[in-house]
Amino acid sequence: MSSYLNVSSGPHTRSRLSTGNVMRDVCISLVPAAAVGVWHFGVRALIIIIASIATAVLTELVFDLITKRGATYKDGSAVVTGLLLALCLSPCVPIYIPILGSLFAILFVKCFFGGLGKNFMNPALAGRCFLLISFSSTMTNYQYTDAVSSATPLVSLLDGKTVNLTTMFLGSGDATGVIGCSIGALLIGGLYLLLIDAITWEIPVSALVVFSLFIGLFGGHGFDPMYILANLLGGGIVMGAFFMATDPVTSPVTSVGQLIYGAAVGVLAGVFRVFATAADSVSYAIIIANLLTPLLDTYVVPLPYGLRKNANAGKAGSSSALTPKMFMPAVRLTVITLLAGLGLAGVFNLTKNTIEAQKEAKKRASYLEVLPEAVDVKASDELTAAVEALAGGVYGTDFGKAYINDAIIGVDESGNEVGYVVNASSGDGFDGKISLSVGVNKDGAVQAIAFTELNETAGMGMRCDEPEFKDQFAGKAVESFVLNKAGGSTEDFEIDSVSGASISSGAVVNAVNAALDFLHKNS
Amino acid sequence: MGRKSFHGGVHPIEHKELTRNAAFETYLPRGEMVYPLGQHIGRPASPVVSKGDHVAAGQLIAEASAFVSANIVSSCSGTVKAVERRRTVAGVYAESVVIENDGLYETVPGLGTKVDHRHLSQEEILAKIKDAGIIGMGGAGFPTHVKLMPKDPSAIRYIIANGAECEPYITCDDQLMRDCAGEILTGMEVVLSLFPGAEGVVIIEQNKPEAIAAMKKAAEGRNIRIMAVRTKYPQGGERSCISLVTGASYGITQLPADVGCIVDNIGTIYAIYKAVCETTPLMERGVTITGEAVKRPCNLITRIGVNCGELLEAAGGYKDGVQAVKILAGGPMMGIAFDNLNVPLQKNNNALTFLARDEVEEAERKQTACIRCGRCVRVCPQGLTPQLMSDAFAKKDFDRYENKLHGLECISCGSCTFICPAKRPLTQEFKVAKAEIMAAKRAAKEKEAAKA
Repeated sequence: MSSYLNVSSGPHTRSRLSTGNVMRDVCISLVPAAAVGVWHFGVRALIIIIASIATAVLTELVFDLITKRGATYKDGSAVVTGLLLALCLSPCVPIYIPILGSLFAILFVKCFFGGLGKNFMNPALAGRCFLLISFSSTMTNYQYTDAVSSATPLVSLLDGKTVNLTTMFLGSGDATGVIGCSIGALLIGGLYLLLIDAITWEIPVSALVVFSLFIGLFGGHGFDPMYILANLLGGGIVMGAFFMATDPVTSPVTSVGQLIYGAAVGVLAGVFRVFATAADSVSYAIIIANLLTPLLDTYVVPLPYGLRKNANAGKAGSSSALTPKMFMPAVRLTVITLLAGLGLAGVFNLTKNTIEAQKEAKKRASYLEVLPEAVDVKASDELTAAVEALAGGVYGTDFGKAYINDAIIGVDESGNEVGYVVNASSGDGFDGKISLSVGVNKDGAVQAIAFTELNETAGMGMRCDEPEFKDQFAGKAVESFVLNKAGGSTEDFEIDSVSGASISSGAVVNAVNAALDFLHKNS
Repeated sequence: MGRKSFHGGVHPIEHKELTRNAAFETYLPRGEMVYPLGQHIGRPASPVVSKGDHVAAGQLIAEASAFVSANIVSSCSGTVKAVERRRTVAGVYAESVVIENDGLYETVPGLGTKVDHRHLSQEEILAKIKDAGIIGMGGAGFPTHVKLMPKDPSAIRYIIANGAECEPYITCDDQLMRDCAGEILTGMEVVLSLFPGAEGVVIIEQNKPEAIAAMKKAAEGRNIRIMAVRTKYPQGGERSCISLVTGASYGITQLPADVGCIVDNIGTIYAIYKAVCETTPLMERGVTITGEAVKRPCNLITRIGVNCGELLEAAGGYKDGVQAVKILAGGPMMGIAFDNLNVPLQKNNNALTFLARDEVEEAERKQTACIRCGRCVRVCPQGLTPQLMSDAFAKKDFDRYENKLHGLECISCGSCTFICPAKRPLTQEFKVAKAEIMAAKRAAKEKEAAKA
């Protein structure tokens, strides 16, 4: 009987739960979705998952070593972050994407804010949003085989096409999307988490219900069950509601707080999906709702049972979860969330118009630039009809993936027609679409070309925009141009390629040729 | 009326199998007996004997010194050796009467005389309970006669006998209900005779089928309801019991009587029966000697004041090659840990638990930062938010702790600490917070009084 006994303050026993096995349970719940992803998308999905998890754990380990703060990498939370991030990446992303995303998620969002339990937004989602901003085209490329269309079900849906709900549910067949796209597998995981009490029902239920209501009210299709169901199955709202929004660190701890927070996720996801550009509404909705958590946990505190009104009345079950004292903050927060969401949507709409106007002005300026004799442009019924007849399809057969976007007539001060301007594009550029305007005078001679859209490689394809290349077209009246990759052209129809950028140069020549051909046939 | 269960709660491993079927054995102590004067809530009793006096079992040795205080009677015969400071299970040295036990157990005259309580007036009953030195035997130790004298007796609608015994390991109330169901129910009738408008309810957790059967059988023909309730900790908490029976809740500024209830432990009710119907003051009690480190876990009927070391010997001592790493007065959820067995058994000690595994130390090693999972909020039987309270405590924001989070409502049941995956010492923090807030309040009050 001596002092080596550990005289502790009660309780002297503990449950078997630990942070480690809480994290393990989340990983288990994600296994079905990961398995379906690997089965469906193949080994590259597996490589992305492994890279993401390994980077997450390694980052935490290195941070532990540098800061000498003890081995927190063992608690399993980094594994969860890595796995979650991988499951919401396209299977087509290059390997550096999961690595950078995990690094950002763990280092900047988690470790720098104090590590486990201290991060203010979901690390995996913050990592995903970081990637979306930094590598937008890579991140939204879902074309994992040539045979399959690259549009995700949600993008198709927003384009007004019908989608196959069954493949969306199973994540099979020609389903495209992120690695964890099988809604069925995600629901199994979510249900598992609910059953073992690892997550509460409040957040997923409130998020999904409010989101459905929002889509029904503002989605433009009314309460069409198929449309709402398609919205629920696509775009990651299920993944978000069950696995991302329920991240305990960044969601409120009280039941009512969780209901409000879930509703905020639902409203914001709805706002972003309906009023803004589709695909990643849920990611942004959740990380913005995460920011509400400290506020909710400060003001939405339930009264203990002993202090509730009517508590003494002796009425069984009289203790309602929502007491008047916390009702007003709850209402206020809901209103704030709604206003914030609508505000964001409003800003988007306002800027959308400005952006459109700017685009118009730029287009007009580029038209005048390529036809120096003209002081104004006007539409021609004939040309407009011809453009519309193409219905946005590929123009001709000899110009690669060329498109005619617009064609107008240029006029001088006295209103006489002095030539034409055709805006054409080529989809054969090195990195996306090249669009340009070609000015042609009455005699069929090219006056100048100007780019309206050019996203080629800096120092190479981008040099198409330099006079050295552009001016080769000016003053030449030919039926079509030919690209001379070797350089040193002598003939009028020959165009010297920008050195090292023959693909970009070829696309430009194709677009110009398409424009000339179009004019030839329609004027 | 009534609920199936209270809100929240946890399911610790019961460990009751160690002594579940260990019938009571009577153990008469041989060694020196020690009676701390302050083993109840309220003012310590004043000794009425001095060194050298000869006392008999059942003789008053210290009397209640205030309204909230309790008598203490000798549980053995012998000579008063000293009235001095002795170590108690709480780890402090407290003024105690020490009696050299002569082992003869001579009793005071008249002890054991059978009395029919129906012939007694309410005042006589209350006097007998007070004289017997009965206090809450479940652990709290509040003087029973005070509890039985609420401001408005006619407002009492329920007398609740608490036989939930939700603490892991402990089975002495279970045994008592199996063995003495009739006596307990008669004790209930004694209490009910003080409150003619009240209904008697006995609460028993469903993990005690034998006790439920015995009590139900004994209740036939009596106007007392036996309620079998879900096995869940802290079912035996006063507030849990009341919420179960009436659906009502109350805060720290109120007493059970304010919601029309009086809750007494089964052991207390039995002690009332003994005092009133058998003229026997509180000298002995049932105690469970248990834990993985004990060679022969058992239930003993023994004398209050016995040395705890002697009780361990009575249970066969430690298992061969095993040493207890933690000794508890009570169970592992709300029991008090102590490190020296040379202390006396008090009226309110229902068990001595000798643990072979130190889960507290293990938890300290596994501790991580709070992951805000909210499990503590979901299990709190008082509807509090331990996660936020812990946060306020860490920031020393006692204003938020007390006024926004209502942290004084915490009953220290330990459910939050038990469930916490990050192994945070939540209950322990709240004990400190409550103590600091109460101390600050007292200081402010004294300052106020000094000014006036």
